[in-house]
Amino acid sequence: MKKLIAGAILLGASSMAFAQPGCGVGAMIWKGQSGIAPHVLAATTNGTFGNQTFGMTTGTLGCQTNAAVQSMAMYMDSNIDKVARDMSRGSGENIDTLAVLLGVEEADRGTFRKVLQDNFATVFPSSETTSGEAVDAIVALLEKNESLSKYVAA
Amino acid sequence: MGYSLRIGPALIWLALTATAHADPDAGAGQPYLDPAWLMLGHYHPDTLGDGYTSQADDPAFFLSKNGKHSPASELEATLSAIQRPGGGDNHARCRYPARTAWLQQEFDLSLAPMDCPAYGEWKETLNTKTVTLVFAASYLNSPSSMFGHTFLRLDPPQEDEETNLLLASTISYAADAAAHDSEILFAYKGIFGGYPGITTIQPYYEKIRLYSDIEHRDLWEYTLNLNQEEVDLMLAHAWEIRDRNFDYYFFDENCAYRLLALIDVARPGTNLLDEVGTHAIPSDTVRWVVDKDLISSVHYRPSAATSVAYSLSSLPDSQQTLAAAVANGYVSADADELKRLTASERAHVLDATYDYVRYQSEAEGWPRDIAAPLSHELLQERSTIENVPPPETPPEPAIRDDQGHDTFRLSLAGGQLDHREFTQLTLRPAYHDILDPPEGYRSGAQLQFLRLDARYYTDNDELQLEQLTGVEIRSLSPRNQFFSPLSWQVGFGGRRTDTGTERVLAPYLEGGAGGSWQLAPKTQLFAIATADLEIDDDLRRGYDAASGADIGLLHQNNQFSLMAGAKTKAWIVSSQHRQYQAYAKASWHIGREFSLFAEFTREDHYDRYESKWQTGLHAYF
Repeated sequence: MKKLIAGAILLGASSMAFAQPGCGVGAMIWKGQSGIAPHVLAATTNGTFGNQTFGMTTGTLGCQTNAAVQSMAMYMDSNIDKVARDMSRGSGENIDTLAVLLGVEEADRGTFRKVLQDNFATVFPSSETTSGEAVDAIVALLEKNESLSKYVAA
Repeated sequence: MGYSLRIGPALIWLALTATAHADPDAGAGQPYLDPAWLMLGHYHPDTLGDGYTSQADDPAFFLSKNGKHSPASELEATLSAIQRPGGGDNHARCRYPARTAWLQQEFDLSLAPMDCPAYGEWKETLNTKTVTLVFAASYLNSPSSMFGHTFLRLDPPQEDEETNLLLASTISYAADAAAHDSEILFAYKGIFGGYPGITTIQPYYEKIRLYSDIEHRDLWEYTLNLNQEEVDLMLAHAWEIRDRNFDYYFFDENCAYRLLALIDVARPGTNLLDEVGTHAIPSDTVRWVVDKDLISSVHYRPSAATSVAYSLSSLPDSQQTLAAAVANGYVSADADELKRLTASERAHVLDATYDYVRYQSEAEGWPRDIAAPLSHELLQERSTIENVPPPETPPEPAIRDDQGHDTFRLSLAGGQLDHREFTQLTLRPAYHDILDPPEGYRSGAQLQFLRLDARYYTDNDELQLEQLTGVEIRSLSPRNQFFSPLSWQVGFGGRRTDTGTERVLAPYLEGGAGGSWQLAPKTQLFAIATADLEIDDDLRRGYDAASGADIGLLHQNNQFSLMAGAKTKAWIVSSQHRQYQAYAKASWHIGREFSLFAEFTREDHYDRYESKWQTGLHAYF
C-alpha cells in the first residue's frame, strides 16, 4: 500500500522529472518553475500556484533513498502550511497523511503526532524555514526516536 | 500491414454483422450503432443529415481515417487492430482497453491475454475501488467558476487503515486555458470555443488546495455506487481519452459533461448525457446523477473560508475581539490576555486566529513579512498546548447545493405600469435570482443568464420585449470585523428605457460596487455606488451615462425573500435628469418548485411620478 501511495504521488506530479531517481529530494528537477523554495508560513502560494506549478524542495536532504521520505517531501511542498498547522495542534488530516506516506503503523501514530507537536519549534525554528529544511528536521527527529526510526531508515 | 490483414477484418466484419442481427439490442442489427459503441467513440447524431460525428477533436483518438464521422469504419478499424498479432504498449488493445472489452464481449472474441505494461502500471497505481464525484460549489467572485465545477476522485480500497483520501487521484476535465488569458478572454473562448479540453490526473490534495484553500469553495463528495467491474471500465475509458483533446465549451461540452460521459461508459444505459440540453450546469449534472440512483453516500468538506468563519463565530464575543487584536498586531500571541484564558480557550483563540491570518494572506494578500512571523508565533504558542482537539468543523448545510431550486425558471405575472395593464412572461434559463429560494445557494448572491422578459399590454394589444438580460451578477457579502469583502454587481443586455416621451429598448451596461453589513442573521443592509451606460439612437446624443447609488435591505429565509430600497441615478449626457426610485420586491417560496412574487416601484423621472407593480408566479424546473 505504502509503495502504491508513494507511486501515486510521483505519478500525480507528472510534470516533473528526476535527475537521479532515488537520490534525494534535493536532486529532483522540476519542469517549469524551479528555484522557488516554499517558505513555510503564510503567503507561500500567492501567484505561484497555477497550472501545475510546483515549488521545489531545496532541503539539505543528502542522498535520501527512502521513497516514503521523498513522497512526504513532495506532499510537504504543496501543503506545508497545513502540515505546520496540524503539527502545532498535534492532530489533523495532514499530519495523518504524513503518517500514511511514511507507513507509520496505527500503534505508533500517537507517538508520531506527539513527537511532532512537542518539537514544533525544532522543525520550524523560524518563519523562514523552507519545506526542505522542515523535512530534514522531521527525519532527524524520527531517527532519534526508538519506535519511529524504522520508518525513515534509508 | 499486408493484404491478409485487410481481408481478415472484412471476413470478421461480415460474420459479426450476421451475429449482430441475432442481437435485438445491437442498434438495429448494426453494431456500430449500439449505444455503448457510440458512447465509447463519443459519437452524437448530426443535427443535419443522418450521420454521426464524434466530439473527440483529436485525430489520434481514432484508428480509422474517417473515424471522426464514421462509427462504422472506426469499429471495423478497431476490430481489426485489436486482433492484430503483437503486443506492447502501442498495440490497440493496450491503447483502447475499454473498446477491446466491449468488442470482445459483444462479438465473443477469443483474444489471448496481453500484457500492457504502461496501462497496467497506471491502473495499479491508481488502485481504485470506488469513484467519488466531487462538486466544487460555485464561487461568486470569479465569473469563470460561478457554475461550480465537478471532477472525479478515484478512491483506493478503504479496508486498509493506512488509506488516506487526500492522496487519492482525481480525474478532471478542464479548458487548457493559457495561464495569462484574462477573465474576459476566458469567457469569450469558453463560450465560442478556442480552448482545447484536456483530461488531467492530479492528487486530491492539489484540488483541495485550489478549490478549498485558494478559491474558497466548499466541496461536496458524492460517492458513486459503481461496482468494481464498472469502475474498471471507467478507468479503461479514461485511459483511452487521457491525452486526447475534446474542444471545451463553457456551457455544454464542459467539465461536467465529459464526466457524465465517463459515468455513462461505466454503466451503459445510464444515459446521463441525454439529460444535457443546451447547457450542463455542474449543480444540475449532480442532480441528474443523484436522480439516477448513482450515489451511495455524500460527504461535505467546508472550504478554508467557511471553516475560519465558523471557528471565529463560535468564539465568545470577547475572544473574537481578542482574536482580531492578535491578528492585527495589537496584542502579541504570548500576551497576558491570552495567558489568562483556560488552555482550551487559548487553543481555540490561537487556532481561529492562525486560520484567519492564513486566510487573509491567501485572500487579501496580507504581506508576507507581517503574516509569516505572526503565523509562526501563533503556531509555536499553540504547539505548547497539548490534548486540545482542533476547532470543530462547520456543520454540513441542511440543504446541499444539488438540492436547491432547479435553475430554469418560468414566470407569469400580471401588473400595471402607469395605469397600463400588462401580462408578463419571463424565461430565465439559468441560474439564481437573489429573491429565489435561497436553500442550496450562496446567500446574497445572484447570477442570471439570458433572461427574457416579454410583456403584453392589454390596452392596445401590444407585445413588447421588456428586457433581455445577457448576464446579471450580484454579490452582496456582508462585512464584519474580520472580513471586508466588496459587494459588487455587473450586468448587460437590452432594456426599456424612458426617453421622456417613450420607452425604447436600449442596449445597456451597468455595474456597481459598495458594501453590505449584516443587521440580523438573515438580514443585511447594502449600499452600492452604481454606473450605467445606455446606447440608443432615440437618446438625444445616441447614448447616455449615469452615476448613482442603490441603498437597500435584503432579507432571505426559506419561506420568503424580501428586498426593498431606494435608487437614484444622475443621467449626465443626454437627458440630464435625475431619476429617483423606491422599490420593494418580495417572493414567497412554496417549496423549491414555486414562488409567488410581487414587485412595486415608484419612480420620479422627467418631473413626473410613475408607479409600476406586478405580481405572479415563478416555477422552477
